[in-house]
Amino acid sequence: MKTLAIMRRDLLKLRRNPLTLITTILMPIIYLIIIGNSFQGQLKHLPLVVVAQDHGEYARRLVEQLLALQAGPKTVTVSFAPDPAQAIEAVRDGQYKGAVIIPPNFSHSVGEGRIAEVGLFTDNVDSVSASTLEGVMAEAAQAVKVSFVTAREPKLNQIVLRPTWLFQYVDYDRGLIPGVIVMAIFTGSLMCGVFNWVMDKFMGMTECYLVTPLSRWNIAAGILGSGVTITSIAGVTVLFLGLLITRGRIEGGVPALLTLIAIIVITSTGLLAMTFSILGRASHPRLVGAFAGFLNVILFFPSGAIYPIESFPPWLKAFARYNPETHAVSALKSILFKGADLAAVTRDISFLLIFMTATLALASISFKRTL
Amino acid sequence: MELASAAIQTTELTKRFGSFTAVDSVSFEVRRGEVFGLLGPNGAGKTTLVRMLTTLLPVTAGKATVAGHDVVRHPTRVRERIGVIPQALTSDLDLTGWENIDIYGEFYDVPRRKRHERARRLLEMVGLRERANDLVATYSGGMRRRLEIARGLIHSPEVLFLDEPTIGLDPQSRRAVWDLLEALRKESEITISLTTHYMDEAEQLCDRIAIVDHGKIIALDTPSGLKRMVEGADRVELEIEGDGASVATLLKQEPYLREVEHNGNGKLTLGADNGPHVVPKIIDRVESAGASVTSISVHRLSLEDVFIRFTGRSLRDEPAKKVSFLVGAGMPQSRG
Repeated sequence: MKTLAIMRRDLLKLRRNPLTLITTILMPIIYLIIIGNSFQGQLKHLPLVVVAQDHGEYARRLVEQLLALQAGPKTVTVSFAPDPAQAIEAVRDGQYKGAVIIPPNFSHSVGEGRIAEVGLFTDNVDSVSASTLEGVMAEAAQAVKVSFVTAREPKLNQIVLRPTWLFQYVDYDRGLIPGVIVMAIFTGSLMCGVFNWVMDKFMGMTECYLVTPLSRWNIAAGILGSGVTITSIAGVTVLFLGLLITRGRIEGGVPALLTLIAIIVITSTGLLAMTFSILGRASHPRLVGAFAGFLNVILFFPSGAIYPIESFPPWLKAFARYNPETHAVSALKSILFKGADLAAVTRDISFLLIFMTATLALASISFKRTL
Repeated sequence: MELASAAIQTTELTKRFGSFTAVDSVSFEVRRGEVFGLLGPNGAGKTTLVRMLTTLLPVTAGKATVAGHDVVRHPTRVRERIGVIPQALTSDLDLTGWENIDIYGEFYDVPRRKRHERARRLLEMVGLRERANDLVATYSGGMRRRLEIARGLIHSPEVLFLDEPTIGLDPQSRRAVWDLLEALRKESEITISLTTHYMDEAEQLCDRIAIVDHGKIIALDTPSGLKRMVEGADRVELEIEGDGASVATLLKQEPYLREVEHNGNGKLTLGADNGPHVVPKIIDRVESAGASVTSISVHRLSLEDVFIRFTGRSLRDEPAKKVSFLVGAGMPQSRG
């Protein structure tokens, strides 16, 4: 009887808080859609640029194999470029996940039965994509060998793949560092900014601010300032801890470190302002708690922090393109592992700056100096 | 520059929430240096009234000036000149007592040296000097309240608003807060607006009291003046030897008695304006009727009696509070 009374009390409370019920039922479905589509097993649509400097029989066969992989399992999306240096640079810039260079003497070497090399230059910072591309190329070379071995064919097993990593070795754990930094920024921005504000409001403590000469701007800027400071410190701490644990280093020295800090600060400000715009007027910390999990999932998993964006379905890919965390992860990866200079991350940083400005404007509109 | 001799002045001040009128055309004046009490049942409109005066709520109609400045036209000037101690304990638990006061002083741009001098003096005054560097989380409720009073004074406000300052405190802490407010009053020219439910508190501390009910001020006077407003409110209990009925008939003719009730067995209950003063006259009159007084007692009117006389005994049905459908019951937002 007494146990039933406890149960009844809890069930009544649950019924009167539909948000808890909605969170319990709806969130797992949303999580499943987002996370499920972010991790789809085999990678797809990895952008691959091919420089065919040889137009002989065997080079053509190799290209046909790659095009077959594009048409069939859709593992790669093949583009062609005339200049190897240009193709490799495009991989460095992040336009492609890999570049295949078929040298001028390839078919001749195969025909002569000599060792024929094919170059594969991968963006190994994305280790998952890089290893997939190596597998795909090995498969293509193998297919050339199997499909065309006849009594009259030369020794095709002389085709050798020469994979080259364009950047320092980045293992899976180290590759997660940018994602962990962004997650730390998101968590910090939520806990230090809007959660504190809504909790103070809920406890009646904001009343004390509102009877002082503090302006709306003073309060908002103060909360954002402290939030950005704490969140940025958390981001930088996670960066160093991550490098310490994975024994990594920052390519590019002090200028790269300063750029990383700038990215962390801009991302922190943008995310703090975003959470304020969305939740700043919430009257109950429950709302912040419920939305925190939701926002974290929809922003983090499609950010490319764990799985390459190229493999997402089109709708999720489109979302990822406008996801601030995607650009933060991309910029951090470029500076941290690729030794890229500021110019290389201009696109990502520009997006983050626009996002920050827009959310700050939105936060200043939505923030009210009222009870 | 607006200037008014009154610390607080309202004219037809009104606040409506939809169709509900929480404060209804209230006009009153609080003199500088006065301790002014606001008494009223729950939901009477006290908190709403104070929230308008402290610029927390927009005014629907009428006018109010605090420390000489219009609350609608110059809210920042008002905020610079007032200190507010809300009902809820609002000191930051994660900060020390000193930090709470010091940061609050910065809100008012009090220069550092002055701020620190004042903080030290105020902490001394509220008896928290020794605990100034402890986290507020380690303080008792009474200590937090004293700290908040000190915090509310860091910028030397002209008007201090206190909303139920002793609610939930033990008798010792209540006395400590009272002593603090009395000391403050003696030492400075500050005007204090005190909202309370405790009649003894109002009687002890306030120069004048306004009784608020249904959004209106229904009585405003000094505590003794309020008592005088209730005619024949002192109760004189009388026991006599003799004919009670004829004594009662005689006493009914006395102009200083408002009410005469014969309870049988020589017991009478009389209503008088000023009980202690009329006792000798009553005894003379009883004896002149051939009876004698065996016992007499006077029950002076308390402020609580006055309050009940003015506001009645019925419980108030407050307008329904807003509850979010999504998140259910949040913290109750009292309207006053």
